[in-house]
Amino acid sequence: MAICTGCSLLCEDIELTVKDGDISHVRNLCRKGHGHYQALLTERARPMIDGKEVALDQAIAKAAEVLHSSKAPLLCGWSNATLEAQTAGMSIAKKLGASICDTSPPCLGALMERIISGRIPTCTLDDVRNFADVSVFWGSDPSNSHPRHLSRFSYYPRGEKRQKSYEEERTCIAVDVRKSATATLCSNYYFRMQPGGDGEFIESILATLDGRIPKFGDKKRMIELGTILRKAEYGVIFPGIGMLYSLQNRLELFETLLAKLNEIATFKVVPMVERFNSRGFYQLLHAPGNSLAAAAKGCDAALVVGSDPLAELPLATARALARVPLIVIDPHRSLTVDAASVVIPSAISGMEAGGTALRTDGVKISFEPIIESDLPSDEQILAKILEAI
Amino acid sequence: MVSAMEIYMLLPKTNCKKCGLPTCMAFAVALLGREKKIDECTPLIEEKKYEAKLKKLREVMAPLESASETGLIIHPEKCFGCGNCVVACPVNVAAEPTRCGVGLGPQGEKVILRVEDGVVVCNNVKECRRFGPNKVLCNACTATCPSKAIEFV
Amino acid sequence: METAVTIVTFRDIFQDEAAKKSKFTDEFRDLCARILLDKQDMASLGLKDGQKVRVQSEVGSVIVIAKTSDDDPHPGLAFMTFSPWSNQLAGEDACMSGARIAAKLSPSDESVTQISELLQRMRAQGIST
Repeated sequence: MAICTGCSLLCEDIELTVKDGDISHVRNLCRKGHGHYQALLTERARPMIDGKEVALDQAIAKAAEVLHSSKAPLLCGWSNATLEAQTAGMSIAKKLGASICDTSPPCLGALMERIISGRIPTCTLDDVRNFADVSVFWGSDPSNSHPRHLSRFSYYPRGEKRQKSYEEERTCIAVDVRKSATATLCSNYYFRMQPGGDGEFIESILATLDGRIPKFGDKKRMIELGTILRKAEYGVIFPGIGMLYSLQNRLELFETLLAKLNEIATFKVVPMVERFNSRGFYQLLHAPGNSLAAAAKGCDAALVVGSDPLAELPLATARALARVPLIVIDPHRSLTVDAASVVIPSAISGMEAGGTALRTDGVKISFEPIIESDLPSDEQILAKILEAI
Repeated sequence: MVSAMEIYMLLPKTNCKKCGLPTCMAFAVALLGREKKIDECTPLIEEKKYEAKLKKLREVMAPLESASETGLIIHPEKCFGCGNCVVACPVNVAAEPTRCGVGLGPQGEKVILRVEDGVVVCNNVKECRRFGPNKVLCNACTATCPSKAIEFV
Repeated sequence: METAVTIVTFRDIFQDEAAKKSKFTDEFRDLCARILLDKQDMASLGLKDGQKVRVQSEVGSVIVIAKTSDDDPHPGLAFMTFSPWSNQLAGEDACMSGARIAAKLSPSDESVTQISELLQRMRAQGIST
């Protein structure tokens, strides 16, 4: 059995045949995971310095040189790196006095801090499968972002206390500004919301839970939602970036809702982080990371590990990063690789390199490589850089 | 999925009864239920004036050709590979309660639905509860699909 | 002809699948360089499915393909997948996906923005789009 590092669900039941470096007879990978596996052979990065191909060791040496001589280095990326690689990265940051952050937005960091510190109650996805009778996808669309979420944990499978599962014992609710694929599956348990209306939506739910008439939204529907939540035994909310973005600087509203819900029943929150080890980075850091937007503006060199910030950041932040010498460690060609001064190709974690990672719910999962590769892992490359700086 | 009305609009609409049914609408319904074949409407095949309609009819009926005997059709290009149908299918769950039953991919060969190469494929379709003398209108797989990649004729 | 909309970004499995394989393919571009519009908004712009539209925000602009959304009516709201194209429009505080971007739309004859152009704009400093 192999593991998939395509998203933060870290599915472990992947079956495939590996022969002569090629994979076939792949079973259980969703479309996204399958794309992730197919990328084994597409556009792999080559070691480069200033657009010229060099030997791998030269690129690593140059990376160390650039970092060592920079006054305000930034180390970013990390969500696609193993815990071991992230730890090595933090050692480098410490040694250099560098800023270190991932490419996720601050609003997600705020939620993660509260979950990891215990301020917001959480549980594992296995708990969800075994106990949850109400799953709420708020501003998230797992069908597209974490395709096997509903079938492995949150709606369709049977669990210890949910043997009758989605047919009789589970309700799936979607709260969103658009009718996503997940919202369609929730049919009349899809609650449409206006963009930016999350605060008011929460106020309305609080009102119905208190037996008051809600002030905002479709009153009848809000009362319906309040009734479902009140009848829950073990509810789980999966907030998406959409909701977190909307509630920026007002996360206390969400905490108030959770406190109210927990007076009635057990209600937990499980985040929907994107990359296979985004959670690991938050948990290792023990503190909210630097804001990437600010750090990018103030740095004079950046090391990017396993991420493509130029593709994923708003234009101004991408520009700020693109103006400094970039060192990229990545298995594949990307926008950031194309803009980099130094490129260090790495082995794909989960396929060509082993390690440990945290699933989106914090469960630690270890994996071994299933395909041989000449390329070093992120961890090995970072160890060499740490030695050389 | 094409409807009986859409099929009817592509027929001669003369109620000539040459197919053995009293009306063209009845023939349209029979075509959809795969109880009749297009070629049984002899005027449609033989008369040149229906050439364009015949072509269009064959086009819209094509997906039904590849449908299984239970009427199950899979559109792999729409499939998310999410496994909802694999976990919802009662035959799958009965065959593998410790795998499909709890959200994992199947390991044996008795299941009807499994995800291969990123999309769902079906085997053993005769085991489907919509098939056979004791058939029921089970719709577990179609009702749980996020993208209408799996549907019944 | 110009219409103001709020764009909300979202994740799409087909786009993510293409992105994992390569961000430099036509396939990836086709899955990103598109905007889903409400039927009414399409009509007020005189747009047909598949026609090109300029999307202009405070930050930048891109040329993408307009498609009619199959969601319930949502005039004034438009949807784009979270991609390098949507990021050209996004302000600094905009999150990964689910960001709200104020934009103006107008039909266009120019060709769809290519990824090479997007990268060029990032590397060009102090040049406005």
